Amino acid sequence: MTDDATRTLGKGSAPPGPVPEGLIRLYSMRFCPYAHRTRLVLQAKGIRHEVININLRNKPEWYFTKHPFGHIPVLENSKGQLIYESVIACEYLDDAYPGRKLYPYDCYERARQKMLLELFYKVPHLTKECLVTLRCGRGCADLKLALRQEFCNLEEILGYQNTIFFGGDCISMIDYLFWPWFERLDVYGIADCVNHTPALRLWIAAMKQDPTVCALLIDKNIFLGFLNLYFQNNPDAFDYGLSC
Amino acid sequence: MRFCPFAKRTLLVLKAKGIGHEVININLKNKPEWFFKKNPFGLVPVLENSQGQVIYESAITCEYLDEAYPGKKLLPDDPYEKACQKMVFELFSKVPPLLLSFLRRQNKEDCSGVKEELHKEFSKLEEVLTNKKTTFFGGSSLSMIDYLIWPWFEWLITLELNEYVDHTPNLKLWMEAMMKDPAVSSLFIDPKAFRGFLDLYLQNNLEACDYGL
Repeated sequence: MTDDATRTLGKGSAPPGPVPEGLIRLYSMRFCPYAHRTRLVLQAKGIRHEVININLRNKPEWYFTKHPFGHIPVLENSKGQLIYESVIACEYLDDAYPGRKLYPYDCYERARQKMLLELFYKVPHLTKECLVTLRCGRGCADLKLALRQEFCNLEEILGYQNTIFFGGDCISMIDYLFWPWFERLDVYGIADCVNHTPALRLWIAAMKQDPTVCALLIDKNIFLGFLNLYFQNNPDAFDYGLSC
Repeated sequence: MRFCPFAKRTLLVLKAKGIGHEVININLKNKPEWFFKKNPFGLVPVLENSQGQVIYESAITCEYLDEAYPGKKLLPDDPYEKACQKMVFELFSKVPPLLLSFLRRQNKEDCSGVKEELHKEFSKLEEVLTNKKTTFFGGSSLSMIDYLIWPWFEWLITLELNEYVDHTPNLKLWMEAMMKDPAVSSLFIDPKAFRGFLDLYLQNNLEACDYGL
């Protein structure tokens, strides 16, 4: 059971107190891919943290003091400083905490990872559109074609670099930033989109061997249970799979 | 390209850090085939160093220069302050496409909808300055975030659209402070050249990028 296995807070809930010294707080939702990025970094760097899950269909009024539009993920530290946008949050954690550095030390290699992120920018929207379209009982052949094209671009990078991971021979920040959407391909019903990209499939297999990725892997049945309730507009969706 | 606001960001950082550099201008209305080997997206700015390493995306080029070259650091060392600059950068992100669409409509349909949206975006930036109680977006001295957003405010000045910041006094003061910066003033576009370029560019004229030479 991961450390974010807590019930969401919704409208009418009491605002949480200040973040205790020595801890950082993440406002999250167990199934959100953007928040997943931040959870991967927290896990990979062994950062002591607490998670408050937010009911995204029934947001607490106090949550808008953490983020103007009530988005997740948001980090809050013991000084009350707030950091949001998943990529900014991940970079902040890498900068602020010691130990294993997820971004490379070399400034050109760092720039390369950021350029790779630009290449990825259409993937989140396309995978979400595929999910929504399929769930509404419509075909998404065009969307899948577009997604396959994006995956071909990423395949080309891996081919050109001749490395397993996007940052080289070891897993690094860029891999964790991409991962959440690839973990969801199966449960979204679009796993066949990597049929023509062998290097990407090898990367997925290698990622599934990573201890950090493994520790946070979401159970497929629980995810499906969440998706079923979510698409029925059930506000309890976000707590699906939690005991009691 | 001399009039590209994204490339201007990189030029400002090169100037501010005193980095020796050469410039190759690209005709954005008639791109050379070889340019796509530098950047598959075919956009400027692109940096290329003597090792043949290529960096593109304006914000990435600026951060690269700040890290790779010595001297005055434009991005703060403190992780939270650095994150704040990136959050302000996100806050600014709607301005470039809005301003461009405003310029495209200038002489055509009513652009009051775009004007209103611009006012809204400028108010968000005003709020940052009001809350921080500092002249610049990163604090009391000029830093990376100021250079990253400057080129579009330079457009307001060269096109005499200063009234757009009439309702945002801190933003107005920030613009005046920016104009005093040596890097900003040495790279300030000649208003006539910019207007000449803009007219030709909006007509898709192949000579636009070389206007004034």
